[in-house]
Amino acid sequence: MKTECQNIRFYERAAEPVSSAGDFAIEMVVLLLMATGTVFVYSAGATLAPDAARLRFYETPMFKQIVFFPLAVGILLLMKRVDYRLFRLQGPLLKSPTFYLVIFSFISLAAVLIFGEERNQSKRWLDLMPGPMYLSFQPSELTKWVMILFVAAYLDKVGEQIQDFKRRFIPVCCIVGLAVGLIVIEDFGTGLFIALLTFLLLWIGGARWWHLLTPLIVAVPGFIAAVMLSPTRLNRIKRFFSFLLDQEGLPYQAQQSLRAISVGGLWGTGLGRGVFKYGHLPEDTTDFIFAVIAEEMGFIGALWVLLLFTLFLVFGIRVVLRCPDRFGKLLSAGIVFSIGIQAAVNIGVVTVVLPTKGIPLPFVSAGGSSLLLTAAATGILLNIAMQSPESEEVLQG
Amino acid sequence: MNSPTSSPIRVRSGIVLLCVFLLAGFTGLGARVFDLQFQRNRVYDQASRTQRYAVVRQSPQRGLITDQKGRVLAASSMIYNVFAEPRRLLQNEQYKLTAEILQSILDVPGCEISKRILEANNPGFLRLEKDITPAQQQAILQARLNGIGIEEAWKRSYPTGALCSHVVGFVGNEGRGLAGIELKYDSVLAGKGGQDTYVVDVFRRPLAAYPEGRNPLQNGDNLVLTIDSVIQEIVREALLKQIKDYQAESGTALVMDPWTGAIWAWVSLPDFEPHHFSKATASQLKNRILSDPYEPGSIFKPIIAAIALDSGAIRKEEKFDCEDGYWGKYGGIHEFGNHRFGLLTVREIILNSSNIGMAKIGLKTGSKTLYDGLRLFGFGQPTGVDLAGEESGILRPIQKWSGYSPTRIAFGHEISVTSLQMARAYCILANGGTLIQPHLVRAIVNPEGQITDVTPSLVGAGYVIHPEIARWIVRQAMRAVVTEGTGDQAAIEGVEVFGKTGTANIALPTGGYDTSNYIASFIGGAPADNPKVIILVSIRKPNRALGKGYSGGRVAAPVFKEILQKTLAYLDDR
Repeated sequence: MKTECQNIRFYERAAEPVSSAGDFAIEMVVLLLMATGTVFVYSAGATLAPDAARLRFYETPMFKQIVFFPLAVGILLLMKRVDYRLFRLQGPLLKSPTFYLVIFSFISLAAVLIFGEERNQSKRWLDLMPGPMYLSFQPSELTKWVMILFVAAYLDKVGEQIQDFKRRFIPVCCIVGLAVGLIVIEDFGTGLFIALLTFLLLWIGGARWWHLLTPLIVAVPGFIAAVMLSPTRLNRIKRFFSFLLDQEGLPYQAQQSLRAISVGGLWGTGLGRGVFKYGHLPEDTTDFIFAVIAEEMGFIGALWVLLLFTLFLVFGIRVVLRCPDRFGKLLSAGIVFSIGIQAAVNIGVVTVVLPTKGIPLPFVSAGGSSLLLTAAATGILLNIAMQSPESEEVLQG
Repeated sequence: MNSPTSSPIRVRSGIVLLCVFLLAGFTGLGARVFDLQFQRNRVYDQASRTQRYAVVRQSPQRGLITDQKGRVLAASSMIYNVFAEPRRLLQNEQYKLTAEILQSILDVPGCEISKRILEANNPGFLRLEKDITPAQQQAILQARLNGIGIEEAWKRSYPTGALCSHVVGFVGNEGRGLAGIELKYDSVLAGKGGQDTYVVDVFRRPLAAYPEGRNPLQNGDNLVLTIDSVIQEIVREALLKQIKDYQAESGTALVMDPWTGAIWAWVSLPDFEPHHFSKATASQLKNRILSDPYEPGSIFKPIIAAIALDSGAIRKEEKFDCEDGYWGKYGGIHEFGNHRFGLLTVREIILNSSNIGMAKIGLKTGSKTLYDGLRLFGFGQPTGVDLAGEESGILRPIQKWSGYSPTRIAFGHEISVTSLQMARAYCILANGGTLIQPHLVRAIVNPEGQITDVTPSLVGAGYVIHPEIARWIVRQAMRAVVTEGTGDQAAIEGVEVFGKTGTANIALPTGGYDTSNYIASFIGGAPADNPKVIILVSIRKPNRALGKGYSGGRVAAPVFKEILQKTLAYLDDR
C-alpha cells in the first residue's frame, strides 16, 4: 500500500527533521501575533472596580488569555508533531480521524441548536464545563476547520474525478452544504465564510468552472433567505449601505470603532491608556481588538498587526507552493487562506469597510476555543512545512 | 504517493492570484487605517472628545459688597437645588414612585413633578426645586432616589433690602450684574469659574483626571463702598417721609464728603426691592441722581457768583440794581415770589435769591468766562462716578448761546444738571476750590482679604476757584442764606449751617416750562468754617394743592436739616 510506504518515509524524515528559516518565521509570526493579542486583551480587559468586583479573577478575559496563550502554544507544538497525512481519507473510512471529526461536528452543531448557550442574541456556544472555570466552545468554529480538512482530504482521495459532477462533485457539496445550513441559522458570518473557503478549495482542487456555479443556485437564495428572515441582519446590512451613501446611521459598535481608531494618530494614546475600552466600544477584547490596538498604539500598532499577517500569508504560501503532495497543498492552502481571509474580514469590519460580522481576529482576539483551534491548524501547517523539501525544484527534480 | 500530476491543481493561477488579492486587501486596509487616523480624525474629533471627557464646572462665589464700615450690602451664599435626570426616571416608569416620595418631601403635588419630568426638554437635567431646606436635603439623601440629585448653587442676597438698591443694584437669574455697582463692577465681583476634566467610561464615571482640561476656581473680589448704611438709613427715612407728606413724585438726596468726593449716602426715591427687581416699575428702577437732569434754578446761583468773583469781573462790595422786581430788558426778568429789591451786593443777591441781580452778574461776567468756569466745575460732562448710565446734563456749547444766555444761566435756567453734578460743585466750594472725584467704591479686597485697589482721596491737585473766594461764598454768602435769607428752615442751633434753596421750574420736553410744578431743592453743609459734609435734597413735584408750600425753603430745607442734625450727631459719636 502506498499509505504504508508513506508512513515509513515519515518516520525516516522525523529522524532527521527538516527545518528551514521559512518555517521558523511562521512560528515566530504566530507567536508574535498571539503575544500582541495577549497584551491587548489584557489592556482592553481593564474595567472599573464596580464591574471587576462582580467577576472572579479567573473569569476575567485577561486571566483567560494568560492561560490560553501557553495552552495554544502547547497545542501548536503538539500538532506540529502529528503527521498531517493522518487526516487523509485514502484508507478505510472508519480509520480516518477526519471522518470522526466530521461526524462530531455535525453532532455538536445539532447540539448547539438544541442545548446551546445564548449570547448576544445568538446560540453559538456550548458550555463544556459549567462551573467556576467554565469552558465553552463554538461548534461552528470547529466545523470551519473540519470542513477544510474534509474538503482537502476528499479532493485528495477523488483526484481528478472531482470533475465528475454527479458522482464526486455533488456529494461533497451536499455534506458541506448541510454543515453551512446548520451554522447559518445562528451564525451567518461563519456559514458564509465556510461556503466561500470550500468554494476556493474546490476551485484550486481542479473542479470545473460550470460545476462550481451550480451550488450557487441553492446557496444564493439560501443566504438571501437567511438575511431576509432575520431583522437584525437585514438592519445591519441596510445601515451599512446607508453609511456608505451618506455617512450616517452607522450601528453603535461600528461608530465607536471608527472613533477609537481615529483617536490613535501616529503613535496612539499609549499602551493601556486608551479610553474606548471602558465600555465605549463593545466587544473590545474579542472582535474589535484591532480598534483598541489602533487607539493605543496608533498607526504604528495597526501597521505592526497588518505586517505580521502579511508575513504569515507570504510564508504560508511558500509552504503551499513547496509541498510535494496534493493533500498537503490543499490543506495548507485552506489553512493559510482561512486565517488570511479572516484577518482581512475582521479588520475590514473594524475599519467599517465591511458590515459588522462576528468574526474574530485570528491569534489576537480573546476567545478560548477559537484560539486553540487556530493554533491546532497552524500546527498542522507547520507539520506540512516541516515535511516538505527545501524548494519546489527538489520535488520536480 | 499519488502522482502530483494526477489532477490539475491551480497553483499558479489560483493560489498566487488569491495571495496577491489578499495582500492587496491588507494594503488597502492599511490605507484605510491611515485615512481614519490622519484625514478623517477631524470628523470624529468632536464626538469622541465629548464621549471620552466629562467636564465638571465649579461656579465662583461672587464677591461681597459692604459699606465703609463692613456692613454687608450684598452677599452670595450657597443653596441646594433638587434636580432630576428625566431619561433615567422614564425607564420602567420609575418617575411615578419617585414623584410620590418627592411629593411628601418637597411639598409639591406628585402629579406636577411627574408632568414636569414627562415634559422635560433636556433629558439629562431638570431642576425641580430651588433652595431646599437642610431637612429636605437630608430626607432626599436618605431616600436614595435613582435619577434625583442635589446640586450646589449660589444665591445673591441683599440684607438691607431696598435701602441701597440704587447704589448696589442687582444681579439677574444667571448671576450677572444688571444694575448699579453689581453691573459696573461685574467682572471684579464675578470671579472666574473653575473646571475639572475627567476621562470617563461609557456610564460617565470618571476614570482619571485630565490635567490639560483643568482651570482653577477663582472667587470674586469683594468691594468696600464709601456708603455708610447708617447715614443712608437716616437720609432715606427723612426723604421718604417728606415725599409722602407732600405727595411728591420723586426725590433724590446725596451725602458727600467734600474733601474726598466719597459718597456716604445715595438715595433716589422711589426705589425697589432688589430681590424682586423684576416686579419693579421703570420709575422705581430709575436712578434719578444720575439719569434725571433738571434745570437747577436758584441752587445754581452761588456757583455763578463764585465764578464771577474768581474771574475778577465783579467785586464783593459792588452793588447791583435789582430794578424793584421787574427788569424789562433781556426778555423780561421777574423775581421769584414777586419780591422787590433795590441795590444789592453779591451776598445780598444770594441770600435773597434775586434773579435780576444774578442776571446782571452773569452779563457782567460774560459768556466766555461763565462757560469756562462751568466746565471747570464739571457741568455738561459725566462725573465718572462708578455707576453705569450716567447722564451729562446739558451745557450748550458757547457758539449756541444767545445774548440772553448769560442772564438765564446765571439763575439756573437754560442749563440742565444732575443731582450728582450739583453736589460735586458744592463740594468744590466747601473744600476751598479743589476738584474732587465723586466715588462709591472705597477699596477692592481679594478673597484672601488683601486690599488690591484703593480709590485715591484726591483726584486733581488743581484749584477750580481761588480758596479765599470759595471760603467767602460758603462762610459769608451761603451762611447768610440760613441765618437771614430763604433757608431759615435749615438752621440748627449751635451749628454753622450753610446752604442754598432752590425752587426750579420744570422744563417741558416741548419747550417752555410747566407752570404748576416745581423741583424744591436745598444744598448745603456744615460747619461753615471747616465743612464736614455736603448734603443735597431735591424733591420733585410736591403737591401744591395741599397748600403746604412747594419752595426749596419749605419742602427741602427741613429734610436737609434732619439729615444734617442726625448725620453730625452720628459722625461726632464715632
